[in-house]
Amino acid sequence: MKALYSLFAVCSLMFAACSDNKPVELYNTKAALPSSPKYNLDGLKVITSFVNKTKGTASTLYGNDQALKSAIDGNKTVGTNEVFTLVTWKQQDDDHWFGAKIPSDIESVEVIKTTSSGNSVAVNYQQLNGKSLDLKADTSGQSERIKYILGQKPSVLP
Amino acid sequence: MAMKTNRKPLYRRKAFLIILILFAGFLCIQFMRPDVPNPPVTGDLEAPADVKAVIQRACYDCHSNNTNLRWYDKIVPIYWGVASHIKQGRADLNFSEWNRLAPADQKGKLWESVNQIIAGAMPLPGYTAVHTGAKVSAADLAVLKNYLASMVHSKPADTAVINAADRQYQHWQKNKTAISKLPTAANGISYIPDYKNWQPISTTERFDNNTLRVIFGNDIAVKAIKENKIHPWPNGAIFAKVAWAQLQDKDGTTHTGEFKQVEYMIKDDKKYASTFGWGWARFKTPKMVPYGGANVMFTTECTNCHKPMAAEDFVFTQPIKH
Repeated sequence: MKALYSLFAVCSLMFAACSDNKPVELYNTKAALPSSPKYNLDGLKVITSFVNKTKGTASTLYGNDQALKSAIDGNKTVGTNEVFTLVTWKQQDDDHWFGAKIPSDIESVEVIKTTSSGNSVAVNYQQLNGKSLDLKADTSGQSERIKYILGQKPSVLP
Repeated sequence: MAMKTNRKPLYRRKAFLIILILFAGFLCIQFMRPDVPNPPVTGDLEAPADVKAVIQRACYDCHSNNTNLRWYDKIVPIYWGVASHIKQGRADLNFSEWNRLAPADQKGKLWESVNQIIAGAMPLPGYTAVHTGAKVSAADLAVLKNYLASMVHSKPADTAVINAADRQYQHWQKNKTAISKLPTAANGISYIPDYKNWQPISTTERFDNNTLRVIFGNDIAVKAIKENKIHPWPNGAIFAKVAWAQLQDKDGTTHTGEFKQVEYMIKDDKKYASTFGWGWARFKTPKMVPYGGANVMFTTECTNCHKPMAAEDFVFTQPIKH
């Protein structure tokens, strides 16, 4: 009986050796978005996606329903309660397809929130950097970033 | 002595007779030969000599009209398998009728072929085990990859491309693309308009065919990702992969231009058992024209390409968790 068991063990080992030994990487773990109270993508929709080939980055712009509607209208006016979130990753070669690049390490998460402030609309901007999502303290250049993000044309999603 | 006299002569022994019958049968079936003609070459693949040499050596026996059968390929029943491989191989990809493909499709087929080689799916392992000369070495692969890489050109979009994208955008912006009746592919899968409200699970820059892609997952798919239950994916999981033409501006940012297509993978291991447990469909242009027309065989293209991903439940996309 013992001999039978060891024979069985040897056979299964042999089968394991014969089967595909390529490791199966099911997830893109490098690009995983850290969970944090600093931002929230739940319920947000895709507004657009773009890449920068010189910098080697890939970005996806998310928005809530109000933000998406405004973006489709060309963001001519900024409404209240709009949330835009721009996530930017470094790129990496796609192991599964020669000819493709996919997101890699996270570079930044930029969040724009609009709130009503008296008779006008206040636009709040935050830039979170790296996997640890460090808040960028330097506020210079914020208006350019707001303009850039609100200037993104939505992707055609028929 | 007694033993010897008891033995029957060779031709009357049972074992011998059985072998004889089997051999006769073997000889008879040699005449049951499917025809493997070499039809005329209508327009052969054009590529630099070193590239073509690799492709000819590794692919041409099954993917051209210049099949070179060795004597051992012609022995029935091996020959039956060989003949059916060649028939199928030529139907999927034929370098001798290369001119019948549009230039964009030629490019697509080359990238797909090299990816099949990288994945180890092609040339068929059973084929290279016998035809060792057809094996693609690391050096051969480098030749192919360099050739493909040399075909990639990245430049700002020209006016025609920008205008086409603008026209389509304005149409969509004014909600003129809304579809009243859902188009349905030949395999019965209908366009699912709700995909745009799903969560993106990854994005891809495809420099092989100048597109940008976003892969959306429905609630079942997203839940499975969160719970680490994607091996295999649960029934009811659906992906929608959207492709746009690349639109590069002068600052080096590449945006989504013209919407090209949306492709679905719908998991149901029973309903779609014959196509790897997934239902496949592709809808092109904002009019959502079903790919493949009335021919249900379009799914062969999907399954052929996804076959090397068997260990990943036939899914190329590695989802991004959040």
